[in-house]
Formats: sequence, C-alpha cells, structure tokens
Amino acid sequence: MSELSLETVNLSKRFGKFTALNDINLKVAEGEVFGYIGPNGAGKTTTIRVLLGILQASEGTAKVFGMDAWKDAVEIHKRLAYVPGDVNLWPNLTGGEVIDLFVSLRGKHDKKRRKELLEAFDLDPSKKCRTYSKGNRQKVALVAALASDADLYILDEPTSGLDPLMEQVFQAAVLDLKKQGKGIFLSSHIMSEVEKLCDRIAIIKEGTIVETGTLDEMRHLTRMSMTIKTEAPIKGLEKVKGVYEITEHQGGTTFQVDSDAVGEVVSFIGKFGVKKLESTPPTLEDLFMRHYNTAGGA
Amino acid sequence: MIVRGNFDNTLRLVRLILRRERLSSTIWIVILTAFSIVLAPGMHEMFSDMETRTQIASIYDNPIMVAMMGPVYGLDNFTTGAMYGGMMLLWVAIAVGVMNIFLVTRHTRADEERGQSEVVRSLPVGRLANINAVMIAAVIINGVLALLIGLGLAVCGVDGMGFGGSMLYGALVGAVGLVFAAITALCCQLFASSAGATGMAMGFLGLAYMIRAAGDAQGNDLIACFSPFGLAQRAQVYVNNYVWPLLLLLVAAGVIAAVAYKLNSIRDLGQGFIAAKPGRKEAGRLLRSPLGLATRLLSKTVIIWVVVMLMLGASYGSVIGDIGTFVGDSPEYLQVIGIPAEIVNTMTEADKSKIIVDYFAAFITIMMTLVCIVPILLAATKVRAEEREGRSEHILSRVVSRPSYLAGYVAIAFVASVLIQFATATGLYLATNAMAENNPFTFGGLLTSFFAYLPAIWVLIGIAVLLVGLFPKASAAIWAVYGFVAFTSFIGGMLKLPEWVNWLSPMYHVPRLPMEDMTFVPLVVMTVIALVLTVAGFVFYQKRDMVAA
Repeated sequence: MSELSLETVNLSKRFGKFTALNDINLKVAEGEVFGYIGPNGAGKTTTIRVLLGILQASEGTAKVFGMDAWKDAVEIHKRLAYVPGDVNLWPNLTGGEVIDLFVSLRGKHDKKRRKELLEAFDLDPSKKCRTYSKGNRQKVALVAALASDADLYILDEPTSGLDPLMEQVFQAAVLDLKKQGKGIFLSSHIMSEVEKLCDRIAIIKEGTIVETGTLDEMRHLTRMSMTIKTEAPIKGLEKVKGVYEITEHQGGTTFQVDSDAVGEVVSFIGKFGVKKLESTPPTLEDLFMRHYNTAGGA
Repeated sequence: MIVRGNFDNTLRLVRLILRRERLSSTIWIVILTAFSIVLAPGMHEMFSDMETRTQIASIYDNPIMVAMMGPVYGLDNFTTGAMYGGMMLLWVAIAVGVMNIFLVTRHTRADEERGQSEVVRSLPVGRLANINAVMIAAVIINGVLALLIGLGLAVCGVDGMGFGGSMLYGALVGAVGLVFAAITALCCQLFASSAGATGMAMGFLGLAYMIRAAGDAQGNDLIACFSPFGLAQRAQVYVNNYVWPLLLLLVAAGVIAAVAYKLNSIRDLGQGFIAAKPGRKEAGRLLRSPLGLATRLLSKTVIIWVVVMLMLGASYGSVIGDIGTFVGDSPEYLQVIGIPAEIVNTMTEADKSKIIVDYFAAFITIMMTLVCIVPILLAATKVRAEEREGRSEHILSRVVSRPSYLAGYVAIAFVASVLIQFATATGLYLATNAMAENNPFTFGGLLTSFFAYLPAIWVLIGIAVLLVGLFPKASAAIWAVYGFVAFTSFIGGMLKLPEWVNWLSPMYHVPRLPMEDMTFVPLVVMTVIALVLTVAGFVFYQKRDMVAA
C-alpha cells in the first residue's frame, strides 16, 4: 500500500456534551480521490476542521502526511489546499485581491495558472466581494486553491453554489489533479459528482462512519434493483432469501435483491422462463438513502 | 418624454415603504425627537442665567469653534433658545441627513440590487412610481419628525423658545433632511451599487459641512449658504427666525429631486450613469501577508479616528485658554474637572487661572483618552470578529501560524494607541498655540501627559487579547471592562467610591500631568502587566478551537 496522505484513528470531537464526531477512522492513500459524504450536520465539516488544525481532537489522532494535524498545522498546510463549504469573504476586497492574498499565504505564485482558472471559471476578479453571489465566492476560493501547487486538496462541498456548467469545469479540474497524482478529499452530498470522481468513499452519519470502501465494495453490501418478466407467473419469490419489496406491475415484477443473493435469485426465476430481465446497480443515491432512512427500507 | 402612467400605483408603494420603515424610521424619529426635546430644558437648567450663557458664547465665539459649530447669533440677548439654536441645529441636521441617505438608498438602489425592484416593476406600476413613492415617504417621515420636534420644543416653552421659533427649528431639520433625501435619490441614479450611492451621498454630506466650515471661518455668509447646514443656520432660529432659508432649502430639494426623476426615467433598471469602477484585479504587495490584510481591514478606522481626535483636540484647545473665566466661580465645575476641595479653598487669585488650566488639561486628557480607547479595542478584538464571520479559517488553513495571524491585529492596536494619542495631543497643542498669545503648554509637555496613558491603554489591549484567547465567545466582555474604566474615571472621584474600586482601573495609576510629577514606576508596572496579559492571550489563542458564530 502506498503512503497515507491522511489518517484518523478513533477520532472523536465533542463540543460540551454534544458529540460531533465519534471514533472516526479514515485512511486516505497518497494520490487517492476520497469522497466523504453525509447530510448537513453529520460532521463532515467538523472532520475537515480537525484535519486542518482549526479544531483540536477530543480523543484519538488525526494525521496528515504523517504529521499531527493540530501540532504541525503550519507545516502540513505547506502541502495542502482547502476550499471551505461556506465561503465568507471581505466585502471591501476584490476577488482578485483575495485570490492573490490566499495564494501568497502559501508561497509560490503561478500567474499563468491563475489566469487560466479565472477564465475557466468565468470569474471577474475586479469586483468587490460584496457583489459576488454564493457561487462566485466559491469560485474565488476554488481558484485560490487550484492555483496553489499542493499534494492534498481538501474540498468541502465545493460545488454547492455552482451551476451545472461550472460543476463540469470543476470536475475537469479535479480529474486533471487526479491525473497528476494529487490527493483529493472531497466532501459532498452531490452523488453523481462523487460517483464520477472518487476512488473510495466514506459515509458519515451523525458523527459516525457507517460505511467505507470503494464503490464496488459497497455494492457487494447493498441491494440492486431487478425487473423481470416471465412466461409463467412467478410464485414463491418472496420466500427466496435476500429478496425484498416485490411489486407487480404492467411491465412485470420489480424487486430489490441483496448483491450476494443474485445468483440464487437468477437460478430461481429461470424456472419460470425469463422473457425480460433488467437490473440496475445501486447508485450512491441509493446507498445514501438506505443509510439515512433509519427504517432501513428501500 | 413623459409616458402615460409613469406614476401608476405610487400610493400603494408609499404604503409599502412606510410599512417596511415602521421600525427603523420610528427609531430614528423617537431618538432624534427625544434628544432634541430633553436637551432644551437640560441646557436651561445647566446655564440658567444670562451671564453664564453669554460667557460661554464668548468663549466659543472664536474662529476654530465657529468653523466647527457655525456662527453665534443673538449675543446681545443670549437666551437659552439662541444658545440651543446655535449649538444643536447643525448636529441634529447632520444626523437627519444620515437618516435620509440610508432611507432613500434602502428603497431605491438596495432594492434594485436585490432584484426586488424587478418584481415590483413587472407589476402594473409606473416607471417613476418607486422614486416618487420614496420621495413622498421621505416627505412624510421628515414632516412627522419636524412636527414632533417643533411641537415638543414649543411645549417645553424654555426661555426664548417660542412657538414660531420652535416650529421653524423643526421645519429646518426636516427640510435639510429632504435636501439630503433628494441628493441621495440623485446619487442613486448615478451609481449602480448601493454602496457607491451611499458613499457619494455621504461625501456630499461631508462636503456640505466643509463648505459651511470654510464660509463660517471666513465670516462669509454667501459661501456658507451653499451648504444646506449653513443655510439652515442662517435662519437664526430663536433669534430672528428668518423663514427664507427654509423656503430655499425646500426649493433646492425640489430641484434636485426633479433632476433625479428625469435621470430615473431615462435609465435602464439596474444601471447607473457612472459605470462601477472596476477594482484591482490583483493584490498589491502590501496585502499579501496576514499583517497586510489586518492593516487593510483596520487602516480606514484608524485614519478616521486620528482625524476626528485631531479635530476634537483642536476644539478643546481653542477654549482651554478661556476656561478660567468660565468655571472660575463655580465650585461644582471645579470639582467636575477634578480640583480637590482643599486646593479650591486655598488657591490665591493669582495662580487660580493656572491651576484651573492645568486641571482642565488633565481632565480633558483623561476624557479624550477614554474616547481613543474605543477604536483601539475595536482593533484588538477585530481578529475575533473575523473568526466569527468564518474568515479566519481561510488564513489559518494556509501557511500561517496562529501567533503570526493574531500578531497582525494586536500590533495594529498598539500602533494605533500611539498614533491616536499623538494626534489628540497635536490637535490640542496647535489650537492652544493659535488661540493664546502665550501658550500655557509645550508640545512636549502635552505629549508626555497623553503618552503617560499609553501603559493603561495597553493593559486594556492585554485584557482584550486575553479574552479573545481564553473566552472567545465572551470577548465582548471587554466593553464591560471599558465601561467600568470609563465610569470610574468620569465620576469615580465625585461619587466617593471606595478607593480600591478606583484602584482597579488602570487609569487610576497614571500620574495626572501637569499638576502631578511624572512617576515612572506605575507606568513600567502596567506595561509589564499589559505584556503578560497579551502573551497569555497568545498562548491561549494557540491552544483553542476556532469557533465561528
């Protein structure tokens, strides 16, 4: 296994009596694009703030590039770029000024890269930040982060204010970084984005990691949706292990099936003469919904 | 070209505006009216006999005070009314000007910026209906204010403040307000951003003050009349009660408003005649560091305070030479400026004026130091405001250590303390020099007495930094500390508070120059305490979580 760019061990963070993070264990390898998903208030931003050394862990450890996130924050930040989720800027500075300030606080200044990014994101740097919309403020932070030459990019819901066109620009930029072998820690609740970009995923719910792995690995643990039409009417499907939520309709029968029970189901329905079989792997959306519906259905 | 239906639905919009204004304008009206009314009997009580009033008037009838406050009328029969009209009208008019600037931008440019005007304009509403409605609302709001102030003052019936004069006073206040409402409406046509329009209107307000000051300083009535403030003062309210300035003000408001209407009718929604000036596309060299950012965020505040304190120093300086004649025979005043009873009783007529001047100088040094502390503490706690707004994490997530980030703001607070104290002393010195033939002060002496307070100010900075480091959510408690310090310095002596209460305030330990001798021990001790507090603040700041909101 390659070196870890980021690792937390039993990381917990409490604010008074409230437990924001509970035993978080994350491992992100160097050059990996890691998706961190969960609803608002689940603890995504708190995790990131601990990793940045803005908050101190109550228990456990958080390491970035093998260094302690709290004690060695400044050293770590030399190789890290960050885009906050809620970008609040100084109303009386222009976007260009803020970008330059941010970039120079890390050191190197690449004018050509800055210009390319401003054009790609279609951002006017001569406007005061007070006139920027949420999306434009986010672009300022994105341009500043992407213009920096870092080894790890921590992005907290970076596209929540961007329009679909800009989302594509962003995704292209991330894929570009990925090609260069940069590590990316992307927190998001936009499923298609995470599916498209990320190598591995962790799902956080109420401060606890409920699922980690590659998308493929998670699919093993989850149900896929099947729609079949058979010559003879199906009987006894509900008795097959791993089958849920059977509905009959004009197009045939639709049901959910556990990934590890697919073989059994296929051999079972074979007996009825299959005319049509459609199966769809679960999207991240489905995985997500499953974890967030405490009822556990669907 | 007048399009039919240009003003359609104006009245509905007026109602909408008044509905939206029911809180903010009501607050303005209540505060301004209460302030105006309460001060009339208050002033009369304070200066009840003609002799005292005339004495004060003659003290402040000097070029510097006239440039600042406007001319003094009715000296031959200086009623409380004449005094009130001379001292109050300008300041209330300025406040009403500010009120109107905010009122008009709020309902024109700000609405346009937020896209609210677009919704309204898509309804069957005339093109000029909004600006018309805003001006009508301004007439109503300023009219109510004028009426309340006028009636209130008339009811008080203080010496020399008759019904006619009082109504004229209120009307002048309202009329100046309308002039600024019209000017703001015009600025709102020129600029596409509400910040730009507000800035320009505020600029006009400043300009109006300067023109009046320039005219009054030279005794040139014509120049002063080009300013709404100067014009209003020419009504010589409560002395001669001239009505023509009122009429001129109303005509001016009408003409300016007409130009604004015209421009409004020929421009596109969301556009302005002056294109928004694009800002800098790149950061200058200075901005590219944490200290540079802190400087950029605080420099305006510090510069404004330096100028204000220079002027305030000058205004006190211009009256200090005559202070002996003013307070000389009143034991209460002598006590207010801190002269102990035993000295009052034993001082000879010969050194009386010197003693009074010295004590008065010491007194205003404390007072002005207390004012100076406000911007300094704002600078010291700015870093917490940045954190609350979620802007600190931009900086701290980059290659910036917490101490170096905090140091930028704290350094500015310390530097500002020196600059502002220096400015006050300079203003005081320059004015005393200009007024008196033999200046009772030397520049070095004044500077020493102001700088003697620096260690005390630094202790407060230290407390502020400690609070920011240790109790970020309660860092506003620094204002309670400030309140205590101000309270004890102001009336601690008169209230006969226990000695240890006064002792807690750093100001208590500063030698009262020029009467007392310079003693360095308490100053050194306080500087050390300030340093310890500041360092402790840094240590705790390094150790704690950043907490937004």
